[in-house]
Amino acid sequence: MSNFIKTYVQQEKINRRNLLLATAAGLTATAMPRAFGPGAAMADSGGWALAWSYRDRASAYWNAIVSGGEAYTESLGLKKEDMTNLINEGSSEKSLADIKAFLAKNGGKAAIACDANDSPNARPVAEAVRDAGGYISTIWNKTDDLHPWDIGDNYVAHLSWSGEKPSAEAAKILFDAMGGEGGVVHLGGIPANIPAIERLNGLKVAMKDYPKIELLDTQPADWDTTKAAELMSSYLTKYGDKIKGVHCANDNMAYGVLQALKAEGINLPVTAFDGNPEAVDMVMKGDLLATVFTNPHWGGGIALALAHQAAIGKFKPSEEPNEHREFYGPSILVTKADAENFKKTYLDSTPKYDWTDRWGLSAGQIVYK
Amino acid sequence: MTRENLLKWAPVLVLIALVLFFSAINPNFLSLRNFARLSIAASPALMVAVGVTFIIVMGSIDLSMEGAVSALAVIFCYMLVWLGGSVAGLGLLAVPATLLLGLGVGAINGLIHVRLRIPSFMSSLAMGFVGTGAAVLMTGGNIVKIDDEVFRALLTYRMLGFPLMAYVALGFLLLAWVIQSYTRLGRNFYAVGGGEDLAHASGVNVKRVRVLGFALAGFFFAVAGLLQVAKLGQAESVTGSNLMFISITSVVVGGVALWGGIGGVWNALVGVLIVSVINNGMIVIGIPDFIQDGLLGVLVIIAVILSTDRRSVAFVK
Repeated sequence: MSNFIKTYVQQEKINRRNLLLATAAGLTATAMPRAFGPGAAMADSGGWALAWSYRDRASAYWNAIVSGGEAYTESLGLKKEDMTNLINEGSSEKSLADIKAFLAKNGGKAAIACDANDSPNARPVAEAVRDAGGYISTIWNKTDDLHPWDIGDNYVAHLSWSGEKPSAEAAKILFDAMGGEGGVVHLGGIPANIPAIERLNGLKVAMKDYPKIELLDTQPADWDTTKAAELMSSYLTKYGDKIKGVHCANDNMAYGVLQALKAEGINLPVTAFDGNPEAVDMVMKGDLLATVFTNPHWGGGIALALAHQAAIGKFKPSEEPNEHREFYGPSILVTKADAENFKKTYLDSTPKYDWTDRWGLSAGQIVYK
Repeated sequence: MTRENLLKWAPVLVLIALVLFFSAINPNFLSLRNFARLSIAASPALMVAVGVTFIIVMGSIDLSMEGAVSALAVIFCYMLVWLGGSVAGLGLLAVPATLLLGLGVGAINGLIHVRLRIPSFMSSLAMGFVGTGAAVLMTGGNIVKIDDEVFRALLTYRMLGFPLMAYVALGFLLLAWVIQSYTRLGRNFYAVGGGEDLAHASGVNVKRVRVLGFALAGFFFAVAGLLQVAKLGQAESVTGSNLMFISITSVVVGGVALWGGIGGVWNALVGVLIVSVINNGMIVIGIPDFIQDGLLGVLVIIAVILSTDRRSVAFVK
């Protein structure tokens, strides 16, 4: 190929990419007129536009995250609509394009909380925010080698949840209900997801204290209720009466497991993870043995609060210790004994948090293995 | 056995071979209890596959199933709760209402495709997104639970070892077979799929047939939605997820040609059973999870090679 053609092809490729990016940004802009309109309300946020960037509205979990962001926004005397929802629909490209568009429209004066959708996407997102002069906190997804203190004050903090310890606690409750012996099956999340890996590890850690427990099988059901029901049925065919307990990596899969068991009139102890309202009801009824609550409302609120408070100068991130810039959120084990109390405190009415108590619920600095 | 006969029965032979293969490795596979489990997994998927079969026979495609099933399942649950929460009472009305709604949604799907002249691939896919969006909007991301033991008898009540929902699915399969074989509409699907111009020239109102086909598909998606609720006791915006892959794959594996005019609802049944048997069998014989997806893909290709007559077509697009 001649050099001329090569250059031409490369140029066209770049042009096409720019066009795509511009289109994506344009679409986002039209979809969010409210965010880009002249915001009278912005005065109350010190002139900073607020946004939460996340996957979708189709799960109780993300809705709880968003409710926390909205609660923080309201605590500033704004309306909850003043926080912009940047929904990435599971696309890292859209996540980045939306955030760039939001920064551009607000001249960089933006405080953003974000789950970057996948780990590698956290770096370009954080760099885009830094280059535009905005402030960002991230949750869940980020590569191990990316740290807020390496990017600077604009990358305020990263928040995650350790799956291992609470998952181990749930497993121990399961093993005790089984009388300390017998076969266990595990239903896992999407294999490469960090929480899926950690929650399975938790089960394995707990097994060390229970030598008579046998882990029969672990398979992914991709966090999905239907897939979990089918996987549980297949487990029953394969292992039959050997199964004495079921350990699920989230609530949604536990719902499927319970239905697969119901179909055959089988009763087995089952534990779950996430602490969704339906799961807590099931714990109260005794259908589920335990679930783990990670307080997504607080997580969603504090992530946005940190970004915004750094933006308006309430604190300077670089003056904080590392444990304030990469930390775990809280986890609460919910069992039948405390389910009722838990429901009253956390679900029936949402607790009011003091968003200036920035690290009050932190469960310590993130540890890398 | 002639070549033609062999081709006709090839999908069934593939199914039998798979069952024998999995049973040889783990005898538990070949048990009534496992077949009952398979029937629970397969019933909703079968209804979707039957619905889409009519469309594929016409040479079109309907990809709205995931959104349609989610939205219809959610609407059904809300109606049932609103009407008292049990199909033993007024709640029973929610069943025909959902089926009619499915018919209507399908008809709209068809009208958009025919009237606005948008290829069915695109129009139905877009309608599917509308359905998912509607389900998200209605539920706000939450789950609608159905605890009605009478309705849940579809899952829990057994006759000859099989749950009631398997018989319901079988009943609707027979209905589909009657429509396909003994009605003018059924024959018109084949006429349109075999050669649209020819059908038009012979006086078939092709547009009408298309709209009716999509309406019929919507009806079966509604049945799938009901069975999905019966199976899981809940509906949410992702209730219909994964049904696209399993239904389209099943129809093709079962021997229905994507270019139209060939195959029918029995092929859909065999196809759904093949895919369900592969999914269940891989776990039962202990294939490691990280190669299951890849193996499913390979087995599907092999099944298509064995079960479709590719010699009769000049080229494949």
